[in-house]
Amino acid sequence: MASAFELRRRNQLIIAAAVVAVMIALPLGIKDVYIQNILVLTVMYAALSQSWNILSGYCGQISLGHALYFGIGAYASTLLFVKFGIIPWFGMAAGGIFAAAIALIVGWPCFRLGGHYFTIATIVLAEIGLILFLNWSYAGEASGLQIPVSGDSWTTFTFLRSKLPYYYFALGLAAVVWLVTYFIEDSKWGYYWRAVRENTLAAQSLGVQVFRSKMAAAAVSAFFTAIGGSFYAQFVSYIDPDSVMVFQFSLLMALPAVIGGIGTLWGPAVGAAILIPLTELTRSYMGGGGKGFDLIFYGAVIMIIALARPEGLLSLVTRTRPAPP
Amino acid sequence: MKTKITRREAGALVGGAVAGAFAPGLAQAQGKQIVIGGLYPLSGANAQIGVDAKHAYDTALDVINNKHDLDLPLAKTEGLPNLSGAKLAMTFADHQSDPQKGRAEAERLITQDKVVALIGTYQSAVANTASVAAERYSIPFLGADTSSPSLHRRGLKFFFRAAPHDEMFTQTMFDFFDDLKKKGKPVQSIALFYEDTIFGADSANVQRKLAGEKGIKVVADIKYRSNSPSLTAEVQQLKAANAQVLMPSSYTTDAILLMKTMAELGYKPPAILAQDAGFSEQTLFNAIGAQGEGVMTRSTFSLDLAQKKPSVGKVNELFKARSGKDLNDLTARQFTAAMIMADAINRSKTGEPQAIRDALAATDLPGDQTIMPWRRVKFDENGQNNDCTPVLLQRRGDKYVTVFPAEYAVADVVWS
Repeated sequence: MASAFELRRRNQLIIAAAVVAVMIALPLGIKDVYIQNILVLTVMYAALSQSWNILSGYCGQISLGHALYFGIGAYASTLLFVKFGIIPWFGMAAGGIFAAAIALIVGWPCFRLGGHYFTIATIVLAEIGLILFLNWSYAGEASGLQIPVSGDSWTTFTFLRSKLPYYYFALGLAAVVWLVTYFIEDSKWGYYWRAVRENTLAAQSLGVQVFRSKMAAAAVSAFFTAIGGSFYAQFVSYIDPDSVMVFQFSLLMALPAVIGGIGTLWGPAVGAAILIPLTELTRSYMGGGGKGFDLIFYGAVIMIIALARPEGLLSLVTRTRPAPP
Repeated sequence: MKTKITRREAGALVGGAVAGAFAPGLAQAQGKQIVIGGLYPLSGANAQIGVDAKHAYDTALDVINNKHDLDLPLAKTEGLPNLSGAKLAMTFADHQSDPQKGRAEAERLITQDKVVALIGTYQSAVANTASVAAERYSIPFLGADTSSPSLHRRGLKFFFRAAPHDEMFTQTMFDFFDDLKKKGKPVQSIALFYEDTIFGADSANVQRKLAGEKGIKVVADIKYRSNSPSLTAEVQQLKAANAQVLMPSSYTTDAILLMKTMAELGYKPPAILAQDAGFSEQTLFNAIGAQGEGVMTRSTFSLDLAQKKPSVGKVNELFKARSGKDLNDLTARQFTAAMIMADAINRSKTGEPQAIRDALAATDLPGDQTIMPWRRVKFDENGQNNDCTPVLLQRRGDKYVTVFPAEYAVADVVWS
């Protein structure tokens, strides 16, 4: 007989399949490009926030510098495409691998720092990345890079008016990152990472390889974040350092996970599903007046959630389960 | 669509024939509105720019939709005469200085609000993505106050810019140096000081290039991080280089810090010729007081044009009544953009995006029918107006006066 744990895991998969099925069907009934744009952003942030969640949620290493990996992904695929004509699909993979390598190089010194010091280091490193790209003439400095769009094409992943190809790619990415997280949860690494998060010293004393755990989590997290960055560059078809590498992006990746439930399978998706439509719709329908009501409203919602449910919205549905017999 | 217009025109004719007194009522009953979209930063660090822009556009709509005794297109009539007096309206969206949001808002205005044209965007990066969106939906896009030269070099068919781009601004500065040379006061050396943004980089690149062509020595070439907490090291370099003209490209907070640090370190260059931005802001001169005397900047606009063009003073009064401020370089360009767009919509006769685009492309508006110091408004095949001369201003007491070029100057330049 399957244990309660196995049943719960299987239920998670069924829920995920149902959610993905609904999300696949959703845009078929929504023809408005503006709403489609919001859907794209929502699933993109669900994927990005889940990537962030792998390092910061499961392994407990709070990063506020993921804009670095996002920017690396965006610039890697765009530079390869614009300068060498390499199609973005290869650029995406290259960007992901490069970002993972950077995460390991950065992690080498930084994972020796504990707690807040690690977080501060991630902010600083992302700022260094921003300044480097602002001054790198080959990458267009502050002027950024324009992705040429000649017509609809899956090869170059560019589409003139349609948002649906972008939507389905982002949905696929979110599903893959979710699945990776799902399998990690019940793997040796998943238990190592959570042990590191809960109590590094205790984990170490039990034989958990703390440093290697952190490095692995950082590489996986950076890889998927960079894929998201490449996707964003293709989606907007124009990038500059101020629009892909600023601190604001690091926050936007962390926020959905924090609001939804940090270190949980569904937290990032729930958070993104609430935050992204909220910020987009309030800006569009309340922000035109220039009075800032949209931001007051947005801030108030975040504050209310943070005060009422500091452990995230997901804690509303997950009841504390009874102790095993 | 064509038949509709014919019917409306016929209706207007019949109305006119039956009784003149009915005509206004008829126009009102038709009450057609033509809506154009405005994309501006309305929240965040640049929110004030967007709020001021709204006042500028509201002023333009007032001039277009109501009767005013001004020598500007559509001022003397109510609404758009060729569209049976339809009123022009604008709906605004907040792009928060983000290219992605700018594009999303452009698409929303086009598909949901059915705007027939777009105007914006202050930031060139946002204009980049928003104008591409407009192109994809075949909606004309008029860049009111964006100055990156790259914008009109992308082969877009629906992109237009009536105002000068950064290369034209810098060209005027070097034309001024040529003029000084003729007067026997040649400029030998300059120092470039610019922020590390698209604006700063573009500005310095052209300054460097033109200085090379004219044999003017660049003795300092300093790029700094915008919104820097300290500029002491940079100012020391400037002081050591001791150029004849200091040419800063900086926004307000950096400009204030630059001038204050210069005062602290006892550095006063013989001349300062700024690339607008922070140096067009009253805030800077409030902060630095007497140190601002004699500072020069390029601009697209100056209030003392009112001495040569009466409409400038009147429009300024209308704008001031709304905003409590005088027109400046940005708001004057925004007002003018709306006037040019309205003129094109009126000439399009149908108010359809494609017809408006063609009307914009055919625009040939004499400079004296604008509030700007421009020769005329006529777009080249890239959508750029090349007949919009920038002006150079010099600080005298508590205001700027136009000193170059001679046709718009109200005072002689003070140059040591």
